[in-house]
Order: sequence, then C-alpha cells, then structure tokens
Amino acid sequence: MSTAAPLPAHRLFSPARVGAIARNTLTELTRQKVFYLLLLFGLLLIGSSVLLVRFSFQDQFQMLKDISLGAMSIFGSLLAILATAAMLPRDIEERTLYTILAKPVPRVEYVLGKFLGIAGMLACALFLMGLLFLLILFVRERGVEAEMAASLSGDAAALAAQIETLRAQVFHPNLLAAGLTIFAKTCVLAALTLFVSTFATSQIFTVFIVTTAYFIGHFQATAREYWQAMGGAAWSKAFAGFVAILFPDLQIFNLVDEIAVGVAVPLALLGKTLVLGGFYVLIYLLAAQLVFAQKEL
Amino acid sequence: MTPAISIRHLSKVFPVPFRRERVVAVEDLSLEVAPGQVYGLLGPNGSGKSTTMKMVLGLVPPTRGQVEVFGVDADRVESRVAVGFLPENPYFQKFLTGTETVAFFGRLAGVPKRDLRDRARELLRLVGLEEAADRRLSGYSKGMLQRIGLAQALVQEPRLLVLDEPTAGVDPAGSRDIKDLILKFKDRGITVLLCSHLLAQVQEICDRIGILHRGRLVCEGPLAELIEKRAQTELVLENAPAGLLAEIEAAVGRHEGARLLHRRHPQASLEEFFLTVTGDEKKP
Repeated sequence: MSTAAPLPAHRLFSPARVGAIARNTLTELTRQKVFYLLLLFGLLLIGSSVLLVRFSFQDQFQMLKDISLGAMSIFGSLLAILATAAMLPRDIEERTLYTILAKPVPRVEYVLGKFLGIAGMLACALFLMGLLFLLILFVRERGVEAEMAASLSGDAAALAAQIETLRAQVFHPNLLAAGLTIFAKTCVLAALTLFVSTFATSQIFTVFIVTTAYFIGHFQATAREYWQAMGGAAWSKAFAGFVAILFPDLQIFNLVDEIAVGVAVPLALLGKTLVLGGFYVLIYLLAAQLVFAQKEL
Repeated sequence: MTPAISIRHLSKVFPVPFRRERVVAVEDLSLEVAPGQVYGLLGPNGSGKSTTMKMVLGLVPPTRGQVEVFGVDADRVESRVAVGFLPENPYFQKFLTGTETVAFFGRLAGVPKRDLRDRARELLRLVGLEEAADRRLSGYSKGMLQRIGLAQALVQEPRLLVLDEPTAGVDPAGSRDIKDLILKFKDRGITVLLCSHLLAQVQEICDRIGILHRGRLVCEGPLAELIEKRAQTELVLENAPAGLLAEIEAAVGRHEGARLLHRRHPQASLEEFFLTVTGDEKKP
C-alpha cells in the first residue's frame, strides 16, 4: 500500500450515506420502548369503539373519527418529541456519533439522515395507527349495514341507497388528507426537537422546551388575531411577529378537526398546509445544522 | 513525503460555562507522524490525549494551530476519507449483526454497495469474528465489541488508523491478537496513532512515542532511543557453564569503572506466562 498516494475522491454530499443513516435510525427507533405508545393508541381506539355503540350511527362514526384522529395527532406528536429528544444525547453518550463522524460524513448528512429516519418512523407509526382506525371503522360500518339490512329487509333499493350514502360518509377521501396533515405536524415537531437537542444540555430540557413550543404553537395564531383586533401598540405587534417566527404555528394543522366533523377540505388548502409544514421543517433543519456544525463533540 | 499527521502549534482551550475560567486541554503541541509509523500518544488521564485525537479526527476545532491528515486540514471532511477510528470502549447498535454493523460503516465510508457483504466478511475473518458474523451485537462480549470496532475502522482500507485504548477490557489472549493485528497493519504500510495506558503494549508495538502531560508535549522521539540506558549493556547467554560466567565476572572486575549490576535468569513476561498456562500461547 502506498502511503504517499493522494487521498481517494470524496463526494461532498452523498444520498447513499444519508440513506444509510436514515435506515439505521429508523431501525433503532422502531425498537425503542417509546414505540409502545402505539399499543396505548390501539387500546384507546378499541375501548372507545365499544363504548360508542350506544349512540346513533351518525354520532358513532363522528365521535370515532374525532377520537381516532385526535389520538393519532397526540400520540404522533408524543412519539416525535420523545423519540427525537433522546436521539442526539444517546449518540453522544454512547459515542456512536464519534464513530459515524470519524468517517467522511459531513454533519449536514448526519442531521438529514437522522431526521429522515425519524420521519420514516413517524410515517410507519401513523400508517399503523391509520390502519387500525380504518379497520375499526370498517367493522363498525359493517355492523351498521347489518342493522340497516335487518330494518329495511323488504326494500332492496332503499337499502342499497342508504348503504351507499353511509359508505361515502364513513370512508371519505378526506381521511387521507387528515393523515397527511398529522404526518406534516409530527415532522415539524420532530425537526424542532432535533434543533433544540443540538444545543440543549439535557433530554428533559429539550422535551420541556418543545412541549412549551407545542402549546404556544397551538395558541399563537389566536393571540395574534386578538392583538391585531385590539389594534395594539407597535411593541405588541413586534412581539407577535417574533413569536410567530420562533414557534411553529400549529393551528394550521387544525384542518384535521374540520375533517373529523365532515367538512370538505379543498385540495389547495391541504397543499398550502403541507407546504407550510415543509417550510417549518426546512427552517428548523437549517437551524439544527447551523448549531450542530459548530458543536464541539 | 507528506506526513500522515502533521500537528503545528496546536492549542485547545475550553471555556467553563457560567465562569470566567478556561481549561487549557492542549497547549502549543507540535508533532509529525510519518507514513507507515506506529505512533504512541501517551499521558495520564486529563493530559489532552483524547482532545488531540478528536482534533485529528475533526470532531473538535482547535483554538489555535493546525492539524493536517495526509496534507489535508483536519477540519475538512475529505481528511477522513482514509482514516479509520476505534474509540475507547466502542458501543454499537446492539440490534445489528456483526456483518450489518461493518456494512453500515462501509456505506458511510463510501464502499460500493455490491462489495459491502464481501468486505464485511473479509474483515470479520481478519479480526476473528467469522463465526459470530450473523449474531446480534447484544450477544457480543467486550472483547468481541472491540474487534468489531477494529473491523469497522478498517472497512475503507484506511491509510491511517486512530486507536483509542484498543485493548481496554480485553482478556490477555484477545489483547495479544489485537497487538498482532496492529503489527500486521504496520507491515501493510498503515500508519497507526495509538493512545494507550498499557505502557508494556506500547513499548512492544510503537516506533515512536509522544508523552503529554497537562496538555504539553513533554517528551517525543523514537521509542528505542528514549528508553535506552546508554551506560549499561545487556548480555543474554544460553547454556553458559558456571566457569564461563565466573570468567566474565572476573574480566569485568579487571576494568576500572565497569561493574556487574546483577546476574539472573531472564524472566518471561506475565503475559507470556499467562498465555502458556491458559493454552493460548502462540507458536512463533
């Protein structure tokens, strides 16, 4: 081996390296105990579907969608925050970060790979939750169909019409839009958590900061509207602007609530929400990279 | 020839949070490691060894001075293209198998996907983990983890190996295997920067050493020269009869200034003795 030869060529950015880190992160995350939150989700859903039987079928489906989408949003957010907050401190503590960065891996690829791994885990988790939700919805819907068939046994045409209406109401394509919106929201929270963990001194601190941001993010738009309606002073407007930049406006993802109550969501509005979510993710990842690039390990 | 590692006037100062104090971890360190050399960086705990190593790997930026790896600034990612690193007590993801672990690091180091499996198998054979290749790391012993660490460090056929306490927690037989491997790397022209507390081991394998104390390089040079006792001479005789030994002693006594300090049978090292007793002694 000649030691005087020039160094081999190095690619400044390699999707293969990012992919390797993302796959590794995804595998690691799916084996963590935090993933057991999915079991809680399942229990909540099955429990509520049993309790809702006493209501009229319209109310049943309405409440089931409300509970399921709300739970998907909350459990997805919890997963995003808890799993991401633990990731970087663990890699530093266990020194796996050194082994990775001692290879020719730029830090931006590490940040990106980690985020994509988390996003993959969130997609898997939400997909599983969504699947369970649809399964329970399907079982309940078949139950209601059977009840309809029993009550309208003589009138086949009326029965067919009612079943068609029922199916259209229950399995509306907007449910997919709700899933995408929840995924976008959890990705924003994961990117924010990743950013905070690059400078946080402990995991608890990261969780505390992001949880605070979560609540501020849910109320900041209302506060901003209130301040604007009050015609407040320049300082209050400036403060509202500062908060809007610093914390994600999570109210944009409240689209899910509207979908749950059956409001049709236009494609343009869904697109705008997803683009805004993507914009937040980009901003937080850039901020994470800026801090992480300077971090002394 | 471009040095494998070139360190010039390197200093690292860490600020203490919420205080005006600063901790000087490394101060005005200059040294060079020639290609193909096994260089031992020694020093007590807190002497600045790890910080120096991290600066060589580009994990920590220097406060002052410069580090170059094969002529490339250590701050640049390209400097690590031909560098393999084994951290002290390496920890890898326990859910991966030996092959998967090496393949993962191979992917990061730019080994083509089609070659990954073969490369991983070859390295696992080299470090003696062939039979455990498909076992999860959760079932590996400390010594096996150290070997897998060595395998991942070698995955891109590095020209420089940075080893931090490579035999920490490894039993004497495993420790000897690792030592033999390092000597094998040296034969293949790989430069090795070794940080270790095991001075006997360093003495056996290093060509050159540097001793750090409180962040400063207090001694540096070829190992043989540094530890040589120039005023003394060692003769080791085999099957010498008592008469011959008496003649030698008498001859020594006739020369003014010369004196026999001690006469004894040479001793095996404790490591050699242990390996003989446990049956792991290797045939030369």
